[in-house]
Amino acid sequence: MRGLFRWSRKWWPGLIPLAVLWCLAAWYDTVPMEQNLAAATVAALKSDVLDKTRITVAGRDITFSADAFSEEGRRSALTSVEGVPGVRLVNDNTRLVPEAKPYVWTAQRDVVRVTLSGSTPLPAIKARLQDAAKAALNGVEVVDQTGFARGAPARFDAAVLLLIEQVARLKEGKVTLSDKSVSLSGIARELGGREAIWASLRNLPEGYSVAANDIAAPPYVFQANKDPVGGTLTLSGYVPDNKVHAALVEAAERKFFGEKVTDTLKASIGAPKGFAEAVTRALGALSRLSTGSLTVADREVTLSGDALFDGAANQIRQSLAKELPEGWKAKAEISVKPAAAPVDASVCQRLFSEVLGQGRIRFESGSATINVDSAGLLDRLAEIALRCPAAGIEIIGHTDGDGDAAANQALSEARAKAVADYLVKAGLPADRFKTSGQGSSVPVADNDTEEGKAKNRRIDFLVR
Amino acid sequence: MTAFLTFHWGWLTGALLLGLAMGWIAVVQHGEGLSKKTAQIVALLLAIVVGVAVTRVVPGRPGYWLDLGLVMFAAYLIGCAIGSALRDRFVARQMAAGRIPVRSDPPGPAAPGPAA
Repeated sequence: MRGLFRWSRKWWPGLIPLAVLWCLAAWYDTVPMEQNLAAATVAALKSDVLDKTRITVAGRDITFSADAFSEEGRRSALTSVEGVPGVRLVNDNTRLVPEAKPYVWTAQRDVVRVTLSGSTPLPAIKARLQDAAKAALNGVEVVDQTGFARGAPARFDAAVLLLIEQVARLKEGKVTLSDKSVSLSGIARELGGREAIWASLRNLPEGYSVAANDIAAPPYVFQANKDPVGGTLTLSGYVPDNKVHAALVEAAERKFFGEKVTDTLKASIGAPKGFAEAVTRALGALSRLSTGSLTVADREVTLSGDALFDGAANQIRQSLAKELPEGWKAKAEISVKPAAAPVDASVCQRLFSEVLGQGRIRFESGSATINVDSAGLLDRLAEIALRCPAAGIEIIGHTDGDGDAAANQALSEARAKAVADYLVKAGLPADRFKTSGQGSSVPVADNDTEEGKAKNRRIDFLVR
Repeated sequence: MTAFLTFHWGWLTGALLLGLAMGWIAVVQHGEGLSKKTAQIVALLLAIVVGVAVTRVVPGRPGYWLDLGLVMFAAYLIGCAIGSALRDRFVARQMAAGRIPVRSDPPGPAAPGPAA
């Protein structure tokens, strides 16, 4: 031992190369060792649930910053870092995720996207809610701006998952969960959506309640579009039930004699009161237009298009609002189709025959009152009459073979006169028309069948 | 500490070998070496440095370099001790065989060393 002390006094010269070796070791090993420790620390924290984790290594010391979701989680993470082999000191900069009071979660839907904001308790729940939103809002962009906060009410995720389903039913609006109270506002995407939302909210977890539900139903829309080029009348939107559906299609076929009816109507609840009556009247007004469209949204009727002549335009504007049921509003944007070129008497005759070949002027049964469904046809006849202003027109009434001959004669004359009156009212000079009745004496078809009788009940136009 | 030693084993082995060589030489080296007073000062300084390292008052990289230096120094000292002990045995054996003359202890400044 004495020798060791003696020799040790001579060991100092080796300290110089040792110092060089030390410098080299420090130079080459510092950064790799820090990287090694950082990787080991990240691996050690793999099972810990943390937010905003930041690990800074200086030498063997680790500065550990993170937001933990509970005190136990924070302590466990700290222990994990302290247990990493090779770590000398841990500077603890961890903290708990802030607590939210009240605990608010919001989903805002507009036309193109859904924005989630507010708080969620854990990363796993945040991810699950985001996935659920993407799945429920198929194709709509989901922007997740939620942050983390402690203090979520029990069964928060179940409640929010249910609310996400309701967001999918909205066209636009906002759904807010504040602690355990739910508020909704906006417009449902489809008819019946509002009711479906109400029904779903009954399944909220226990303790949750609906503070406000201001979801409005979407407007109840019915549309009709008359396209003279394609010769079609397209019906789209909603009808209350199959009965009204059939009645409206039938009315359209009666009123639009020259157009093929394309029907894409869907049955849905939520129709305003007087829907069928209002739409039937509005279709009558549309039938008088050369081209036009009709939109019925809730209780507002908008009719736009071109009338065949000035008189018709005025009549449509005035009568539309009057004919609608109480509480309905009408908006008529009617212009007048440019007048067609004048033609001579023979062309007029051909045009009359063509139009009367497509449709028939209808009267109330056994009377000379013109059925409202014939307004469109009469406007077409008036328009033709306007194109040959010099020609005189004889309007001849005919009836079928049923009933007394004298009565049929009187009825045929009265019906011819009613048609002439209509045309005069439309703005044509009365002296151009001469009316007569032939009763049932000039049948064009067999009076033994209903079909034949219908053909025989007719008005002929004769241009002179 | 195990992780630390494992990570730096190359450098520590270097320090150990350096110590072995220095210890080997020191046994037969001429001269007095450090005076007793200097040795005491060095020991005191060393104790302070060890104290600083143990209490971990030096933060970050300098703290790491201090630890590394001390551990390398320890390896060096162990190397020196082993080296000196081995050389001492080796010299004793040669002296017993009579291949080198027995010298007075402590050796005089002019006495020729066995390695010289």
